[in-house]
Amino acid sequence: MNDTPSAGSEVVEQVSALVEDVFGRLKPVLAGAEGLLAASADATAEDLTRLRPQVFEVLGGLVVGAGFISAPNTLADQEFGFEWWTETGDAEPAQLVISLDPDSENFLDYTRQSWFTVPRDTGRRHINGPYVDYLCTDEYTLTFTVPVQRDGAFAGVVGADIYVREVERLLAPKLRALGGRAALVNAQGRVIVSNNARQATGSLVREVDVPAWWSAGAEPVTTESGAHLRRCGDSPIALVRSER
Amino acid sequence: MRKGMSHSARSAMFAPLDQIGRAEAVTSRLVDAITLGLLADSEQLPSEAELAAQFGVSTVTVREALVALRQQGLVETRRGRGGGSFVKTPANPSAASWRERLRTVSLSELRDVGDHYLAIAGAAAKLAAERSSPEDIERLELATEDIRTATGAEASRAERQFHLEVAAAAQSPRLTREEVQLQSERGGLLWLPLEPHGTRENAYAEHRAIAAAIAQGDGELARKLTEEHILEAIDRLADVHLDLLAP
Repeated sequence: MNDTPSAGSEVVEQVSALVEDVFGRLKPVLAGAEGLLAASADATAEDLTRLRPQVFEVLGGLVVGAGFISAPNTLADQEFGFEWWTETGDAEPAQLVISLDPDSENFLDYTRQSWFTVPRDTGRRHINGPYVDYLCTDEYTLTFTVPVQRDGAFAGVVGADIYVREVERLLAPKLRALGGRAALVNAQGRVIVSNNARQATGSLVREVDVPAWWSAGAEPVTTESGAHLRRCGDSPIALVRSER
Repeated sequence: MRKGMSHSARSAMFAPLDQIGRAEAVTSRLVDAITLGLLADSEQLPSEAELAAQFGVSTVTVREALVALRQQGLVETRRGRGGGSFVKTPANPSAASWRERLRTVSLSELRDVGDHYLAIAGAAAKLAAERSSPEDIERLELATEDIRTATGAEASRAERQFHLEVAAAAQSPRLTREEVQLQSERGGLLWLPLEPHGTRENAYAEHRAIAAAIAQGDGELARKLTEEHILEAIDRLADVHLDLLAP
Protein backbone atom coordinates (compact mmCIF):
# COMPACT_ATOMS: atom_id res chain seq x y z
CA MET A 1 0.00 0.00 0.00
CA ASN A 2 1.26 3.42 -0.84
CA ASP A 3 1.77 4.84 2.61
CA THR A 4 2.64 8.41 1.90
CA PRO A 5 0.21 11.00 3.26
CA SER A 6 -0.26 12.46 -0.17
CA ALA A 7 -1.40 9.16 -1.65
CA GLY A 8 -4.94 9.65 -0.47
CA SER A 9 -4.94 13.35 -1.27
CA GLU A 10 -6.20 13.05 -4.82
CA VAL A 11 -9.25 11.13 -3.65
CA VAL A 12 -9.87 13.52 -0.79
CA GLU A 13 -9.66 16.47 -3.15
CA GLN A 14 -11.88 14.86 -5.75
CA VAL A 15 -14.56 14.16 -3.15
CA SER A 16 -14.29 17.64 -1.74
CA ALA A 17 -14.63 19.17 -5.20
CA LEU A 18 -17.69 17.04 -5.96
CA VAL A 19 -19.32 18.08 -2.70
CA GLU A 20 -18.63 21.77 -3.16
CA ASP A 21 -19.90 21.64 -6.73
CA VAL A 22 -23.27 20.25 -5.66
CA PHE A 23 -23.70 22.64 -2.75
CA GLY A 24 -22.61 25.48 -5.03
CA ARG A 25 -25.39 24.62 -7.45
CA LEU A 26 -27.92 24.86 -4.65
CA LYS A 27 -27.02 28.42 -3.74
CA PRO A 28 -29.44 30.13 -6.20
CA VAL A 29 -32.30 27.89 -5.02
CA LEU A 30 -31.48 28.75 -1.42
CA ALA A 31 -31.47 32.45 -2.23
CA GLY A 32 -34.73 32.09 -4.15
CA ALA A 33 -36.46 30.18 -1.35
CA GLU A 34 -35.33 32.55 1.39
CA GLY A 35 -36.27 35.56 -0.73
CA LEU A 36 -39.70 34.15 -1.44
CA LEU A 37 -40.42 33.38 2.20
CA ALA A 38 -39.05 36.69 3.42
CA ALA A 39 -41.20 38.63 0.98
CA SER A 40 -44.48 37.13 2.13
CA ALA A 41 -45.69 35.68 5.39
CA ASP A 42 -48.49 34.04 3.41
CA ALA A 43 -46.44 32.18 0.83
CA THR A 44 -48.46 29.38 -0.72
CA ALA A 45 -47.68 26.17 -2.58
CA GLU A 46 -48.38 28.05 -5.78
CA ASP A 47 -45.67 30.58 -4.90
CA LEU A 48 -43.13 27.79 -4.69
CA THR A 49 -43.49 27.25 -8.43
CA ARG A 50 -41.47 30.43 -8.89
CA LEU A 51 -38.42 28.45 -7.78
CA ARG A 52 -38.63 26.17 -10.78
CA PRO A 53 -36.10 27.93 -13.02
CA GLN A 54 -33.44 27.75 -10.30
CA VAL A 55 -34.34 24.14 -9.48
CA PHE A 56 -34.06 23.10 -13.12
CA GLU A 57 -30.57 24.62 -13.23
CA VAL A 58 -29.41 22.26 -10.49
CA LEU A 59 -30.49 19.15 -12.39
CA GLY A 60 -28.09 17.46 -14.75
CA GLY A 61 -24.73 15.72 -14.58
CA LEU A 62 -24.67 13.84 -11.31
CA VAL A 63 -27.79 15.51 -9.90
CA VAL A 64 -30.95 13.51 -10.59
CA GLY A 65 -33.36 15.34 -8.32
CA ALA A 66 -33.56 18.77 -6.70
CA GLY A 67 -35.91 21.20 -5.05
CA PHE A 68 -37.25 22.86 -1.92
CA ILE A 69 -39.11 21.14 0.90
CA SER A 70 -40.76 23.27 3.55
CA ALA A 71 -40.97 22.75 7.28
CA PRO A 72 -44.48 22.03 8.62
CA ASN A 73 -46.73 25.08 8.67
CA THR A 74 -44.36 27.26 6.73
CA LEU A 75 -46.82 27.67 3.87
CA ALA A 76 -50.09 29.47 4.39
CA ASP A 77 -52.32 27.05 2.51
CA GLN A 78 -51.02 23.60 3.40
CA GLU A 79 -49.17 21.94 6.23
CA PHE A 80 -46.41 20.46 4.10
CA GLY A 81 -44.72 21.88 0.99
CA PHE A 82 -42.83 19.88 -1.58
CA GLU A 83 -41.43 21.44 -4.76
CA TRP A 84 -39.17 18.71 -6.11
CA TRP A 85 -38.18 17.80 -9.65
CA THR A 86 -36.32 14.86 -11.15
CA GLU A 87 -34.28 14.25 -14.30
CA THR A 88 -36.06 11.86 -16.58
CA GLY A 89 -33.64 11.50 -19.44
CA ASP A 90 -36.22 13.21 -21.66
CA ALA A 91 -36.06 16.90 -22.33
CA GLU A 92 -38.45 17.83 -19.50
CA PRO A 93 -37.88 17.22 -15.80
CA ALA A 94 -40.72 15.47 -13.99
CA GLN A 95 -42.30 16.76 -10.82
CA LEU A 96 -42.30 14.46 -7.85
CA VAL A 97 -45.77 14.22 -6.34
CA ILE A 98 -46.17 12.53 -2.99
CA SER A 99 -49.04 12.31 -0.59
CA LEU A 100 -48.93 15.47 1.54
CA ASP A 101 -52.21 14.73 3.29
CA PRO A 102 -51.48 13.50 6.85
CA ASP A 103 -54.83 11.71 6.89
CA SER A 104 -54.10 9.77 3.74
CA GLU A 105 -53.19 6.12 4.02
CA ASN A 106 -50.18 6.80 1.83
CA PHE A 107 -48.78 9.74 3.75
CA LEU A 108 -45.12 9.20 4.59
CA ASP A 109 -43.68 11.63 7.09
CA TYR A 110 -40.63 13.22 5.55
CA THR A 111 -39.93 15.18 8.73
CA ARG A 112 -38.33 12.06 10.18
CA GLN A 113 -35.70 11.71 7.50
CA SER A 114 -32.15 12.73 8.36
CA TRP A 115 -31.83 14.92 5.27
CA PHE A 116 -34.52 17.07 6.93
CA THR A 117 -33.76 16.73 10.64
CA VAL A 118 -30.01 17.28 10.60
CA PRO A 119 -30.14 20.72 8.90
CA ARG A 120 -33.10 21.55 11.15
CA ASP A 121 -31.29 20.56 14.34
CA THR A 122 -27.76 21.74 13.53
CA GLY A 123 -28.44 24.69 11.23
CA ARG A 124 -25.80 23.27 8.89
CA ARG A 125 -25.74 21.68 5.48
CA HIS A 126 -25.75 17.87 5.40
CA ILE A 127 -25.18 14.91 3.12
CA ASN A 128 -27.46 12.00 3.94
CA GLY A 129 -26.57 8.56 2.76
CA PRO A 130 -25.92 6.20 1.34
CA TYR A 131 -29.54 5.25 1.97
CA VAL A 132 -32.57 3.84 0.22
CA ASP A 133 -34.62 6.89 -0.69
CA TYR A 134 -38.09 5.36 -0.76
CA LEU A 135 -39.81 8.73 -0.78
CA CYS A 136 -38.30 9.78 -4.07
CA THR A 137 -35.69 7.99 -6.13
CA ASP A 138 -36.29 4.42 -4.87
CA GLU A 139 -32.56 4.04 -5.42
CA TYR A 140 -29.48 4.02 -3.26
CA THR A 141 -28.92 7.74 -2.94
CA LEU A 142 -26.89 10.57 -1.46
CA THR A 143 -29.05 13.57 -0.58
CA PHE A 144 -27.45 16.97 -0.11
CA THR A 145 -29.53 19.45 1.89
CA VAL A 146 -29.08 23.01 3.14
CA PRO A 147 -31.34 24.64 5.77
CA VAL A 148 -33.59 27.50 4.69
CA GLN A 149 -34.29 30.30 7.15
CA ARG A 150 -37.17 32.71 7.59
CA ASP A 151 -36.91 35.34 10.32
CA GLY A 152 -34.08 33.40 11.89
CA ALA A 153 -36.15 30.20 12.15
CA PHE A 154 -35.89 26.94 10.25
CA ALA A 155 -38.30 26.95 7.33
CA GLY A 156 -37.26 23.88 5.36
CA VAL A 157 -34.43 22.66 3.14
CA VAL A 158 -33.22 22.95 -0.42
CA GLY A 159 -31.65 19.78 -1.68
CA ALA A 160 -30.18 17.63 -4.43
CA ASP A 161 -30.10 13.87 -4.98
CA ILE A 162 -27.25 11.87 -6.47
CA TYR A 163 -27.22 8.14 -7.16
CA VAL A 164 -24.57 6.24 -5.21
CA ARG A 165 -23.73 4.23 -8.31
CA GLU A 166 -22.81 7.42 -10.18
CA VAL A 167 -20.54 8.53 -7.35
CA GLU A 168 -18.96 5.08 -7.45
CA ARG A 169 -18.32 5.38 -11.17
CA LEU A 170 -16.61 8.72 -10.65
CA LEU A 171 -14.48 7.88 -7.65
CA ALA A 172 -13.65 4.20 -8.19
CA PRO A 173 -10.65 4.70 -10.49
CA LYS A 174 -8.67 6.86 -8.05
CA LEU A 175 -9.67 4.60 -5.14
CA ARG A 176 -8.40 1.53 -6.96
CA ALA A 177 -5.14 3.29 -7.68
CA LEU A 178 -4.52 3.68 -3.96
CA GLY A 179 -3.99 0.00 -3.38
CA GLY A 180 -4.62 -1.67 -0.05
CA ARG A 181 -8.11 -1.26 1.31
CA ALA A 182 -9.67 2.13 0.81
CA ALA A 183 -13.23 3.21 1.47
CA LEU A 184 -15.16 6.45 1.54
CA VAL A 185 -17.50 6.37 4.50
CA ASN A 186 -20.12 8.62 6.06
CA ALA A 187 -20.22 9.79 9.67
CA GLN A 188 -21.81 6.52 10.76
CA GLY A 189 -19.02 4.51 9.15
CA ARG A 190 -21.24 3.33 6.32
CA VAL A 191 -19.36 2.68 3.07
CA ILE A 192 -20.33 4.88 0.13
CA VAL A 193 -17.76 3.45 -2.24
CA SER A 194 -14.65 1.34 -1.78
CA ASN A 195 -11.98 -0.48 -3.75
CA ASN A 196 -12.64 -3.92 -2.27
CA ALA A 197 -15.48 -6.40 -1.96
CA ARG A 198 -15.04 -6.83 1.75
CA GLN A 199 -16.05 -3.21 2.39
CA ALA A 200 -19.13 -3.35 0.18
CA THR A 201 -21.22 -0.25 -0.41
CA GLY A 202 -23.79 -0.01 2.36
CA SER A 203 -21.89 -2.08 4.88
CA LEU A 204 -20.66 -0.60 8.16
CA VAL A 205 -16.93 -0.34 8.79
CA ARG A 206 -16.49 -1.99 12.19
CA GLU A 207 -12.71 -2.24 12.48
CA VAL A 208 -12.56 1.47 13.27
CA ASP A 209 -15.00 3.42 15.47
CA VAL A 210 -15.86 5.99 12.84
CA PRO A 211 -18.72 7.69 14.76
CA ALA A 212 -16.42 8.25 17.73
CA TRP A 213 -13.77 9.72 15.47
CA TRP A 214 -16.33 12.12 13.94
CA SER A 215 -17.62 13.24 17.33
CA ALA A 216 -14.07 13.87 18.48
CA GLY A 217 -13.48 16.33 15.66
CA ALA A 218 -12.51 14.20 12.66
CA GLU A 219 -8.83 15.17 12.65
CA PRO A 220 -6.55 13.08 10.42
CA VAL A 221 -5.41 10.06 12.41
CA THR A 222 -3.68 6.71 12.15
CA THR A 223 -5.19 4.13 14.50
CA GLU A 224 -3.35 1.47 16.51
CA SER A 225 -4.30 -1.09 13.93
CA GLY A 226 -2.74 0.99 11.18
CA ALA A 227 -5.87 2.43 9.60
CA HIS A 228 -5.64 5.98 8.27
CA LEU A 229 -8.69 8.25 8.53
CA ARG A 230 -9.01 11.57 6.77
CA ARG A 231 -11.99 13.83 6.33
CA CYS A 232 -12.70 15.02 2.80
CA GLY A 233 -12.73 18.77 2.95
CA ASP A 234 -15.74 20.27 4.65
CA SER A 235 -17.99 17.26 4.13
CA PRO A 236 -19.35 14.42 6.29
CA ILE A 237 -17.39 11.96 4.14
CA ALA A 238 -14.09 10.42 5.18
CA LEU A 239 -11.41 8.27 3.54
CA VAL A 240 -10.45 5.14 5.49
CA ARG A 241 -7.38 3.26 4.35
CA SER A 242 -5.72 0.11 5.66
CA GLU A 243 -3.52 -2.80 4.60
CA ARG A 244 -5.14 -5.81 2.93
CA MET B 1 -52.14 18.52 -7.15
CA ARG B 2 -52.76 14.83 -7.40
CA LYS B 3 -51.97 12.75 -4.38
CA GLY B 4 -50.05 9.56 -4.79
CA MET B 5 -47.57 7.24 -3.29
CA SER B 6 -44.05 7.01 -4.66
CA HIS B 7 -43.64 6.88 -8.41
CA SER B 8 -42.83 3.18 -8.33
CA ALA B 9 -45.97 2.31 -6.36
CA ARG B 10 -48.03 4.10 -8.97
CA SER B 11 -46.29 2.26 -11.79
CA ALA B 12 -46.82 -1.04 -9.99
CA MET B 13 -50.54 -0.29 -9.85
CA PHE B 14 -50.76 -0.06 -13.64
CA ALA B 15 -48.22 -2.70 -14.59
CA PRO B 16 -49.38 -5.36 -17.04
CA LEU B 17 -51.37 -8.22 -15.54
CA ASP B 18 -50.09 -11.75 -15.68
CA GLN B 19 -53.14 -13.39 -17.13
CA ILE B 20 -54.98 -11.95 -20.06
CA GLY B 21 -58.75 -11.63 -20.10
CA ARG B 22 -59.51 -11.65 -16.38
CA ALA B 23 -61.93 -8.91 -15.55
CA GLU B 24 -61.59 -9.79 -11.86
CA ALA B 25 -57.89 -8.99 -11.89
CA VAL B 26 -58.50 -5.60 -13.50
CA THR B 27 -61.27 -4.90 -11.00
CA SER B 28 -58.98 -5.81 -8.10
CA ARG B 29 -56.23 -3.50 -9.28
CA LEU B 30 -58.59 -0.58 -9.68
CA VAL B 31 -60.37 -1.22 -6.38
CA ASP B 32 -56.98 -1.22 -4.65
CA ALA B 33 -55.91 1.94 -6.42
CA ILE B 34 -59.10 3.72 -5.41
CA THR B 35 -59.32 2.53 -1.83
CA LEU B 36 -55.59 3.08 -1.19
CA GLY B 37 -55.93 6.63 -2.46
CA LEU B 38 -53.56 6.17 -5.38
CA LEU B 39 -56.36 7.51 -7.54
CA ALA B 40 -57.96 10.61 -6.09
CA ASP B 41 -61.65 11.36 -5.72
CA SER B 42 -63.15 12.70 -8.99
CA GLU B 43 -59.99 11.78 -10.87
CA GLN B 44 -60.70 10.61 -14.38
CA LEU B 45 -59.56 7.09 -15.21
CA PRO B 46 -57.57 6.54 -18.38
CA SER B 47 -59.78 5.62 -21.36
CA GLU B 48 -60.88 2.03 -21.85
CA ALA B 49 -58.37 1.68 -24.67
CA GLU B 50 -55.54 3.04 -22.53
CA LEU B 51 -56.41 0.80 -19.59
CA ALA B 52 -56.58 -2.20 -21.88
CA ALA B 53 -53.15 -1.40 -23.29
CA GLN B 54 -51.58 -0.84 -19.86
CA PHE B 55 -53.01 -3.96 -18.28
CA GLY B 56 -52.42 -6.06 -21.38
CA VAL B 57 -56.07 -7.16 -21.68
CA SER B 58 -58.91 -6.62 -24.15
CA THR B 59 -61.22 -3.60 -23.98
CA VAL B 60 -64.12 -6.00 -23.41
CA THR B 61 -62.39 -7.15 -20.22
CA VAL B 62 -61.85 -3.56 -19.14
CA ARG B 63 -65.51 -2.79 -19.74
CA GLU B 64 -66.54 -5.78 -17.58
CA ALA B 65 -64.28 -4.51 -14.81
CA LEU B 66 -65.78 -1.02 -15.02
CA VAL B 67 -69.26 -2.48 -14.66
CA ALA B 68 -68.16 -4.20 -11.46
CA LEU B 69 -66.62 -0.98 -10.16
CA ARG B 70 -69.81 0.97 -10.91
CA GLN B 71 -71.81 -1.64 -9.02
CA GLN B 72 -69.53 -1.19 -6.04
CA GLY B 73 -70.05 2.55 -6.25
CA LEU B 74 -66.35 3.24 -6.78
CA VAL B 75 -66.66 4.70 -10.23
CA GLU B 76 -69.24 6.80 -12.03
CA THR B 77 -69.54 7.24 -15.77
CA ARG B 78 -70.40 10.49 -17.45
CA ARG B 79 -71.36 10.60 -21.08
CA GLY B 80 -70.77 13.15 -23.78
CA ARG B 81 -67.86 15.50 -24.24
CA GLY B 82 -65.59 15.49 -21.22
CA GLY B 83 -67.17 12.16 -20.36
CA GLY B 84 -65.46 9.06 -19.11
CA SER B 85 -65.12 7.15 -15.86
CA PHE B 86 -64.51 9.10 -12.69
CA VAL B 87 -63.36 7.84 -9.31
CA LYS B 88 -65.69 8.02 -6.35
CA THR B 89 -63.54 7.51 -3.28
CA PRO B 90 -65.62 5.76 -0.63
CA ALA B 91 -66.12 7.79 2.54
CA ASN B 92 -65.02 4.89 4.68
CA PRO B 93 -62.66 2.97 2.45
CA SER B 94 -61.45 0.60 5.11
CA ALA B 95 -64.57 -1.27 6.05
CA ALA B 96 -66.79 -1.92 3.04
CA SER B 97 -64.53 -2.39 0.03
CA TRP B 98 -61.84 -4.27 1.92
CA ARG B 99 -64.36 -6.81 3.01
CA GLU B 100 -65.40 -7.19 -0.60
CA ARG B 101 -61.73 -7.64 -1.57
CA LEU B 102 -61.21 -10.23 1.14
CA ARG B 103 -64.32 -12.08 0.13
CA THR B 104 -63.30 -12.44 -3.51
CA VAL B 105 -59.63 -13.31 -3.05
CA SER B 106 -58.97 -17.01 -2.87
CA LEU B 107 -57.34 -18.74 0.06
CA SER B 108 -54.61 -20.06 -2.18
CA GLU B 109 -53.87 -16.57 -3.47
CA LEU B 110 -53.71 -15.32 0.10
CA ARG B 111 -51.24 -18.04 1.00
CA ASP B 112 -49.14 -17.21 -2.06
CA VAL B 113 -49.03 -13.52 -1.21
CA GLY B 114 -48.03 -14.50 2.31
CA ASP B 115 -45.19 -16.66 1.00
CA HIS B 116 -43.90 -13.85 -1.18
CA TYR B 117 -44.22 -11.22 1.53
CA LEU B 118 -42.58 -13.47 4.07
CA ALA B 119 -39.60 -14.09 1.80
CA ILE B 120 -39.05 -10.37 1.24
CA ALA B 121 -39.77 -9.06 4.72
CA GLY B 122 -37.89 -11.87 6.46
CA ALA B 123 -34.77 -11.35 4.36
CA ALA B 124 -35.01 -7.60 4.87
CA ALA B 125 -35.21 -8.03 8.64
CA LYS B 126 -32.09 -10.18 8.70
CA LEU B 127 -30.14 -7.70 6.59
CA ALA B 128 -31.41 -4.80 8.67
CA ALA B 129 -30.06 -6.52 11.78
CA GLU B 130 -26.66 -6.78 10.11
CA ARG B 131 -26.53 -3.33 8.56
CA SER B 132 -28.52 -0.92 10.72
CA SER B 133 -26.91 2.13 12.19
CA PRO B 134 -28.22 3.78 15.39
CA GLU B 135 -30.14 6.29 13.25
CA ASP B 136 -31.94 3.52 11.38
CA ILE B 137 -32.88 1.88 14.66
CA GLU B 138 -34.23 5.13 16.02
CA ARG B 139 -36.54 5.45 13.00
CA LEU B 140 -37.70 1.86 13.50
CA GLU B 141 -38.49 2.56 17.13
CA LEU B 142 -40.48 5.64 16.16
CA ALA B 143 -42.41 3.55 13.64
CA THR B 144 -43.06 0.97 16.36
CA GLU B 145 -44.49 3.60 18.70
CA ASP B 146 -46.82 4.75 15.93
CA ILE B 147 -48.27 1.25 15.78
CA ARG B 148 -49.16 1.39 19.44
CA THR B 149 -51.21 4.57 19.20
CA ALA B 150 -52.82 4.17 15.78
CA THR B 151 -56.26 2.88 14.92
CA GLY B 152 -58.12 2.21 11.69
CA ALA B 153 -56.50 3.43 8.49
CA GLU B 154 -53.66 4.99 10.47
CA ALA B 155 -52.83 1.60 11.94
CA SER B 156 -52.66 0.14 8.47
CA ARG B 157 -50.27 2.90 7.41
CA ALA B 158 -48.14 2.51 10.53
CA GLU B 159 -47.71 -1.20 9.82
CA ARG B 160 -46.72 -0.52 6.23
CA GLN B 161 -44.30 2.22 7.31
CA PHE B 162 -42.59 -0.12 9.78
CA HIS B 163 -41.89 -2.78 7.17
CA LEU B 164 -40.78 -0.14 4.69
CA GLU B 165 -38.29 1.21 7.24
CA VAL B 166 -36.95 -2.30 7.83
CA ALA B 167 -36.36 -2.78 4.11
CA ALA B 168 -34.63 0.61 3.87
CA ALA B 169 -32.51 -0.19 6.95
CA ALA B 170 -31.44 -3.35 5.14
CA GLN B 171 -29.76 -0.96 2.65
CA SER B 172 -31.50 -2.73 -0.23
CA PRO B 173 -33.26 -0.72 -2.95
CA ARG B 174 -34.56 -3.96 -4.49
CA LEU B 175 -36.11 -5.27 -1.32
CA THR B 176 -37.57 -1.84 -0.62
CA ARG B 177 -39.14 -1.72 -4.07
CA GLU B 178 -40.53 -5.25 -3.58
CA GLU B 179 -41.96 -4.17 -0.24
CA VAL B 180 -43.62 -1.12 -1.84
CA GLN B 181 -45.00 -3.22 -4.67
CA LEU B 182 -46.38 -5.88 -2.33
CA GLN B 183 -47.91 -3.26 -0.08
CA SER B 184 -49.68 -1.59 -2.96
CA GLU B 185 -51.30 -4.74 -4.25
CA ARG B 186 -52.53 -7.78 -2.37
CA GLY B 187 -49.95 -7.35 0.36
CA GLY B 188 -51.91 -4.35 1.54
CA LEU B 189 -54.49 -6.85 2.75
CA LEU B 190 -52.11 -8.11 5.40
CA TRP B 191 -52.33 -4.92 7.35
CA LEU B 192 -56.05 -4.39 7.19
CA PRO B 193 -57.44 -2.75 10.30
CA LEU B 194 -59.60 -5.72 11.14
CA GLU B 195 -58.99 -5.69 14.83
CA PRO B 196 -60.83 -6.61 17.72
CA HIS B 197 -58.96 -4.51 20.22
CA GLY B 198 -56.68 -7.22 21.46
CA THR B 199 -54.84 -7.49 18.19
CA ARG B 200 -53.52 -3.92 18.44
CA GLU B 201 -51.53 -4.75 21.56
CA ASN B 202 -50.24 -7.92 19.95
CA ALA B 203 -49.13 -6.07 16.85
CA TYR B 204 -47.23 -3.57 19.00
CA ALA B 205 -45.52 -6.32 20.99
CA GLU B 206 -44.54 -8.17 17.82
CA HIS B 207 -43.05 -5.07 16.28
CA ARG B 208 -41.17 -4.18 19.44
CA ALA B 209 -39.63 -7.66 19.43
CA ILE B 210 -38.61 -7.37 15.78
CA ALA B 211 -37.11 -3.91 16.32
CA ALA B 212 -35.24 -5.18 19.38
CA ALA B 213 -33.78 -8.12 17.47
CA ILE B 214 -32.62 -5.73 14.76
CA ALA B 215 -31.12 -3.36 17.33
CA GLN B 216 -29.25 -6.29 18.89
CA GLY B 217 -27.90 -7.32 15.50
CA ASP B 218 -29.55 -10.74 15.76
CA GLY B 219 -30.40 -11.42 12.12
CA GLU B 220 -31.80 -14.90 12.53
CA LEU B 221 -34.10 -13.84 15.34
CA ALA B 222 -35.26 -10.78 13.41
CA ARG B 223 -36.10 -12.94 10.43
CA LYS B 224 -37.88 -15.59 12.51
CA LEU B 225 -40.00 -13.03 14.34
CA THR B 226 -40.90 -11.29 11.09
CA GLU B 227 -41.96 -14.55 9.48
CA GLU B 228 -44.12 -15.42 12.45
CA HIS B 229 -45.65 -11.94 12.39
CA ILE B 230 -46.64 -12.33 8.76
CA LEU B 231 -47.91 -15.88 9.16
CA GLU B 232 -50.18 -14.68 11.93
CA ALA B 233 -51.46 -11.84 9.75
CA ILE B 234 -52.25 -14.33 6.98
CA ASP B 235 -54.03 -16.66 9.41
CA ARG B 236 -56.17 -13.79 10.67
CA LEU B 237 -57.05 -12.81 7.12
CA ALA B 238 -57.86 -16.40 6.20
CA ASP B 239 -60.28 -16.58 9.14
CA VAL B 240 -62.07 -13.42 8.10
CA HIS B 241 -62.17 -14.59 4.49
CA LEU B 242 -63.81 -17.86 5.47
CA ASP B 243 -66.28 -16.05 7.71
CA LEU B 244 -67.24 -13.79 4.82
CA LEU B 245 -67.90 -16.82 2.65
CA ALA B 246 -70.06 -18.58 5.21
CA PRO B 247 -73.73 -18.74 4.16
